[in-house]
Amino acid sequence: MMMIQLVTTAQSVEQAEALIKAGTDRLYIGSSRFGLRQKGDWTIDAVREVTQLAHRYGKEVTVAVNNLMHNEHIQELPDYLQALKAIGVDDVTAGDPGAIRLIRQAKIPYWYDAQTLVTSSKQIQFWAKREAIGAVVAREVTLEELVLIQQQIGLPVEVQVYGPTCIHHSKRPLVTNYFNELGRPSEEAKQREFYMSEPADASSRYPIYEDENGTHIFSEDLTLMAQLPTLVKHGLHTWKLDGWHAGEQFVEIVQLFTIARANLLNGQFDRIEMEHRLRELQPEAFRLGTGLLLRKPEEIK
Amino acid sequence: MKQRPELLAPAGNLEKLKMAIHYGADAVYIGGQQFGLRSRAGNFSYDEMREGVAFAHARSAKVYVAANMVTHEGDIEGAGDFFRTLRDIGIDAVIVSDPAMIETCLSEAEGLPVHLSTQASATNYETLRFWKEEGLERVVLAREVSMDEIVQMKQEVDVEIETFVHGAMCISYSGRCTLSNHMTLRDANRGGCAQSCRWKYGFFEEGDLLTEEMEARDEEPFSMSSVDLSMVRHIPDLVDAGVDSLKVEGRMKSIHYVATVCNVYRQVIDAYCEDPENFEFDPAWEEEIWKAAQRELASGFYYGIPTEKEQLFGKPRSIPQYAFAARVISYDEASGMATLEQRNLFSIGEEVEFFGPGFVRFSQVIETIEDVDGQPLQSANQAMMTIRVKVDEPVATDFIMRKRKGVPARILV
Repeated sequence: MMMIQLVTTAQSVEQAEALIKAGTDRLYIGSSRFGLRQKGDWTIDAVREVTQLAHRYGKEVTVAVNNLMHNEHIQELPDYLQALKAIGVDDVTAGDPGAIRLIRQAKIPYWYDAQTLVTSSKQIQFWAKREAIGAVVAREVTLEELVLIQQQIGLPVEVQVYGPTCIHHSKRPLVTNYFNELGRPSEEAKQREFYMSEPADASSRYPIYEDENGTHIFSEDLTLMAQLPTLVKHGLHTWKLDGWHAGEQFVEIVQLFTIARANLLNGQFDRIEMEHRLRELQPEAFRLGTGLLLRKPEEIK
Repeated sequence: MKQRPELLAPAGNLEKLKMAIHYGADAVYIGGQQFGLRSRAGNFSYDEMREGVAFAHARSAKVYVAANMVTHEGDIEGAGDFFRTLRDIGIDAVIVSDPAMIETCLSEAEGLPVHLSTQASATNYETLRFWKEEGLERVVLAREVSMDEIVQMKQEVDVEIETFVHGAMCISYSGRCTLSNHMTLRDANRGGCAQSCRWKYGFFEEGDLLTEEMEARDEEPFSMSSVDLSMVRHIPDLVDAGVDSLKVEGRMKSIHYVATVCNVYRQVIDAYCEDPENFEFDPAWEEEIWKAAQRELASGFYYGIPTEKEQLFGKPRSIPQYAFAARVISYDEASGMATLEQRNLFSIGEEVEFFGPGFVRFSQVIETIEDVDGQPLQSANQAMMTIRVKVDEPVATDFIMRKRKGVPARILV
């Protein structure tokens, strides 16, 4: 029996319920204190509410604990983990070895997620021996490599099938610094998301924003809609959708991937139609692409 | 007396390794032919490593090998052999970030100590505890860690701590930037970083092309370029915090850089550790550091989050650049003549500086240049040529002669 799991971000309890109805199997939420790039105000109370909701529907909740932790985070982390455990969240993501140590002590299952540093099956095996239940692989890893990785390990490997990925994380407030340099009011820096374009491609758009953890730059919105049959064929059954930019369309986008999954299982998947429908739902401001996913591994030096 | 931390210097090749140790480094780090992050730095063959280790160990110095690549499927092949060979050569430790590489080293090259690379962004004491329990000897901290955090780490965990004290820095958490991958297909975590952070970017807001407005107002484009790190003024804090190793960045940098920076830090560390109560910072140390500087300098994250002043916008402030003009081969005390190996053009009338280990330095106007046969020359204009010049103060083998770049020779007559 093939189980394809849709993992989606959620920005509120209300959206979470809509997402579950649209086909989400696992909600991915968190606070920006302990998690990276989380939208929504996921207080402990909100986490409790959404976990109860998800469990009523027979769905799961994963909490992001994948921040780069400094001493002050580590000091607070045991209490946070105890609260998550009391709530009964299903698991967490983590990449900081110190955080993983505390997560294991708290006996909470975790997905290994060190972002750009998760690039091979042997790394994942290292963490599997230390009780990881799966891994979130770097989005810089090509599909060809993802297939090889999944072949080597018995744990699920999460593949991003929709949404942006972070390609730069600095602890510095780079937008604030820039505004200060220009003499613009720096309060604006944290209030909005801005966009960068690279010198060689004026039409490129890299979202950039600041929060308490520093500055984050995103890629274009990735999509593997056209490659879903390949994922299924090679046992890559954990599909992540990130709704950072999708706004109100996100629920419909998740629904589309739910349809795609059903169609794949009954042999009705129409790639062209699915891609067309996704493009119609995609917010105009953000380009859809495949990042490095469809590159040949040897193209990347 | 205080316990002296190790001064750890970069060595892009054998000559730099020897000069670094000669100028006061307690240890050097080098790259091998595989598994490193500096594909363009001069990397060492096994034979060169053997020679480097023999040279270093004869002077009680250590040699570490950086093998901090973040491996993709298949990249790790041969790592066991690589680590075993390094161990058998006598390499003192390897610097690794990838957990799979760490595991391979610990299990397949038993006895070779492992240091966690800064690429793994170790930022808290619990992470230090994790790696200590896994069997690592030392952790190189992320550059984002503050002095207060280091003090706390040292109280919490008994594992060696190495921190960067000097050199260029990533503006992101090391390892967490793939701008280069996405923009140039060059993998930042496998040695291909195109330094995309230092580019000039367009900057938009809410769909509006702010760049156009900015260009109209002749405003600065967006960039993320960090000034360089220098902790030369803060060595006492690092020593008091209990940092075990002070690391200088720059395997791609010149001999002049390595010698100058090692010479200064050696002085500062020794001066403080020998007599902490009466330590006073000598402005000459900082003046000397500037001679090897390529960008402006600041203290990174040690005392707070860097502001716009610690980023490079606009045209860089010009810092006088010095070139490695010659290396002293020998010195004849009776005649006051130094035999030199030329590294950069210099001519009669030019004012140059000689410096040597132990912070010996003096300026000198070149009054005579002669070739090996004693024939007078107007200038030393061939790479690696041997010449002799008269010096006013004694020098010794491996002293360096530097000259300021871009300043025309001052003609005496």
